[in-house]
Amino acid sequence: MITLILKNFLRSNSVKIGVLFLLLAGIISLFVGKQFIDKQKQSVAETAQYQQKHIADNVKNHKDEMGLLLYYLKFSLVNNTLPINALSIGQRDVNPSIQSVTIRGLEAQKYDADLNNLYNLLLGNIDFSFVLIFLFPLIIIAFTYNIISEEKESGTWKIVVIQSRSPFSFIFQLFSVRFLVVLLVLFVTLFIGCIFLEIPLDSAFLTYLLVSILYILFWFGVCFLVASLHKTSNFNAVILLSIWIFLIIILPASINNYLVNKYPTPEALETTLKQRKGYHEKWDTDKQPTVDKFYAHYPQFKKFKMPEGDFNWLWYYAMQQMGDDESAKQSKELREKLQKRNKLSANIAQFIPTLHLQIQLNEIAKSGLTNQLLFLDEVTHFHEKNRLYFYPKIFSEAPVNSENWEKFKVQTFTDKSSLSYMKILLPLMVFIGLFVGLGWVNFRRTI
Amino acid sequence: MNSEILIAKLFLKTAFKNKAVFILTLFIGLLLIYAAFSGWTNFKNQNEMKAKYQEQSRKDWLSNPDKHPHRMAHYGNFAFRSKAPLSVFDFGMESFFGNSIYLEAHKQNTTNFSEAGFSTGMLRFGEISIAMILQVLLPLLIFFLGFSSIASERENGTLKILLSQGLSWKQLILGKSYGLIGVVMTIFIPVMMAISILWITIQSNNITLEETLRLLLIILSYFVYLSIFCVIAVLISAISKTSKTALTSLIGLWLMLTIVLPRASQALGKAIYSTPSKVKFESDIDADVVKVGDSHNPDDPYFKSLKDSLLSVYKVDSVKKLPFNYGGFQMKEGEKISANIYQKHQKELWNIYDKQNSFSKILAFVNPYMAIKNLSMALSNTDFSSYTEFQEQAEAYRYHVSQEMNEFQMKYISNNAKSSAGKSNIIDKKHWEDLHDFQYKPSGIGKVFSNELISILAFLFWIGLLFFLIRLLSKNLKAI
Repeated sequence: MITLILKNFLRSNSVKIGVLFLLLAGIISLFVGKQFIDKQKQSVAETAQYQQKHIADNVKNHKDEMGLLLYYLKFSLVNNTLPINALSIGQRDVNPSIQSVTIRGLEAQKYDADLNNLYNLLLGNIDFSFVLIFLFPLIIIAFTYNIISEEKESGTWKIVVIQSRSPFSFIFQLFSVRFLVVLLVLFVTLFIGCIFLEIPLDSAFLTYLLVSILYILFWFGVCFLVASLHKTSNFNAVILLSIWIFLIIILPASINNYLVNKYPTPEALETTLKQRKGYHEKWDTDKQPTVDKFYAHYPQFKKFKMPEGDFNWLWYYAMQQMGDDESAKQSKELREKLQKRNKLSANIAQFIPTLHLQIQLNEIAKSGLTNQLLFLDEVTHFHEKNRLYFYPKIFSEAPVNSENWEKFKVQTFTDKSSLSYMKILLPLMVFIGLFVGLGWVNFRRTI
Repeated sequence: MNSEILIAKLFLKTAFKNKAVFILTLFIGLLLIYAAFSGWTNFKNQNEMKAKYQEQSRKDWLSNPDKHPHRMAHYGNFAFRSKAPLSVFDFGMESFFGNSIYLEAHKQNTTNFSEAGFSTGMLRFGEISIAMILQVLLPLLIFFLGFSSIASERENGTLKILLSQGLSWKQLILGKSYGLIGVVMTIFIPVMMAISILWITIQSNNITLEETLRLLLIILSYFVYLSIFCVIAVLISAISKTSKTALTSLIGLWLMLTIVLPRASQALGKAIYSTPSKVKFESDIDADVVKVGDSHNPDDPYFKSLKDSLLSVYKVDSVKKLPFNYGGFQMKEGEKISANIYQKHQKELWNIYDKQNSFSKILAFVNPYMAIKNLSMALSNTDFSSYTEFQEQAEAYRYHVSQEMNEFQMKYISNNAKSSAGKSNIIDKKHWEDLHDFQYKPSGIGKVFSNELISILAFLFWIGLLFFLIRLLSKNLKAI
């Protein structure tokens, strides 16, 4: 029986077009992902090359003064891009994956934006997460919206009910066949993706696969429930499309508006103003209080006494430090605000499968806001590490050529935060159980 | 003419009796209210915030004591981008724009703190603005309302009766289209009235002719846009055998136009024209600056020869004897060189962006959605060109302040000054007031016409095409 259903299903031209469309979109998405990864790799390579040249040039130009040299030197930190990132580009196209900082005030450098064509960002990427979240459901809807209604409209439904031993198992088989075909498309695309994008078959990828399957099942659940209402094909098409629009366009966009208005980020502007004032006004105040504050922050540097004269580097870097120290509160508040946004949106998303999937795929691919915040934290550590390394050398006026400058290579940050499988998978399972269960009850009642 | 009106009236009557239409319209109405409300809240919050910090920044600037002008050039200014009044209607690219630039000497900083940078990934699903509802959701509502307009008459057999009673195909198509447009107007007119009221409130008595023209053009272009979809719905319904085929074709068309094609065309543009990475962009600028003259390098040949020629012109043997501060002069030259080079590279980068976007722009001839999207953003001052304008003006201001400070240094600072810290090397703080604060002035509407010529032509093309199709189909359509 099931082979007959399969044959009958695959004979239809619209099914062939649907499958081809999905495959084609999937393959395009893999190319888009590949292009993105390649560009990231190229950026990293260029940064490594540039840093080497930049350090060498400046060491040559400022070979007498460690303090002046470190005024210019920029060190880069790379946010590691996993191959699986190609399947869910997430926020990585907006936020820079490379941050280059001098040891001067961090707050003035930490948030420097990347160069972007905003039109690209506005229209969005066709990465695989888009194909999965937006397009797979459409094809599922197209395959199933008239599953029973068509038979009813052409008058064959009664025959089916009479002839088959269990009409319910017949319906179940109809759905199973469609599910298997869609699943096959998913497997084929991801299999090609794995080879083409050199994605390792690790737990991240398997989670990606699993959550994708659950998402597909979720949409079959929705279609199953709608089919159990026994309405006309036109009604089903309109209602399913409305659900799609509601879950993909209206709800996420409304929640986005809500979050933006609920958590505005004046802290960002506050931080940037505070750090400017904190640093610059020290030029006009007595040196000693500034340096004393610096000693209070770093008692280990008390042994370096401030030299006499109009200008000295200890005072200069103490002033720079004050920019960061005096804006530390605002900076922390900004981080907390973003953390709140992130948490609230993940919580809300548990109830909206489309949103949940986007956020979780970004988590798996390390391309969401969580990763961005961790990266910014790491930029802070990286910057602090460089400061602590160079401060004593500057204050003791160590000769520039006593340092092995070759060793300052581009550093890489790898996000090692673990995934919570329960949090990723459970919300989808609950919805699947709910919809399939309701559909099943409905069918039991009506046939 | 009469029979067309009759058909339109009949269409309106049946549409209003339909419960589903009522529910959908109500829902879209509620959504529009939410969009207007959240757009307005965001506009108010953002602009109040920007104004507050712009003022704070100015206060900080003015509170500086007497100091060396170059220290002031490094103290710098902020340009906070405020929202345009019509951004309440169409958010456009606003969320992707950076909100603040730090303007200091020698350095063109990036525009930071975009809403997108702080987003959790949700932004990728889009935002609810009034424009988005009119651009994306209303066409779908039109398709839901119009798919059966003629196809169901054919299914019921009433089509034959209508045509045999002397009604022409053209009258039928036009009549149904007018009817559909009429239904849409029951949403469109109140929305536009609400927008106008909101817009007047926001402007607080400063309504310019320019802004009024923008609003009127928005109303006109959306009217045309929605009418195009009404006619498309009726035409597809007319050529479909059953209302089911009409519905599925229209849904497919809608998905292609609003979801798939825009992304696809942009992906194509992006794949063909590649942009430099940030580090490449910056190191290319550095390299060019070094080639011409690097004022921060004590051994730079360009500045050495400049110094020598200065010394010979003024017939002195040391820069200390020049009648003006040499350091200020050197920085003024350096700033000029680096600013010019930066601008050249910036323009080149924007040109690549334009090329990447050209596919999406041209697509307007195939896809009216792209035409309205681009035109509406431009009219609302939320398109990329408004953003680059802001950046250009901020850069011009930065340059002006830096050079002004260099002038002060040349004029007032002694050539024997060793650093910027000594008490003898400072100028009076009254000079800080001489520099007005940064103010962004949006360009005139003329720029919209030149930037969005393609979108406007695309609209004209679509109007022509649909009239042509109505004529063509009127002759060839069959009743069965």
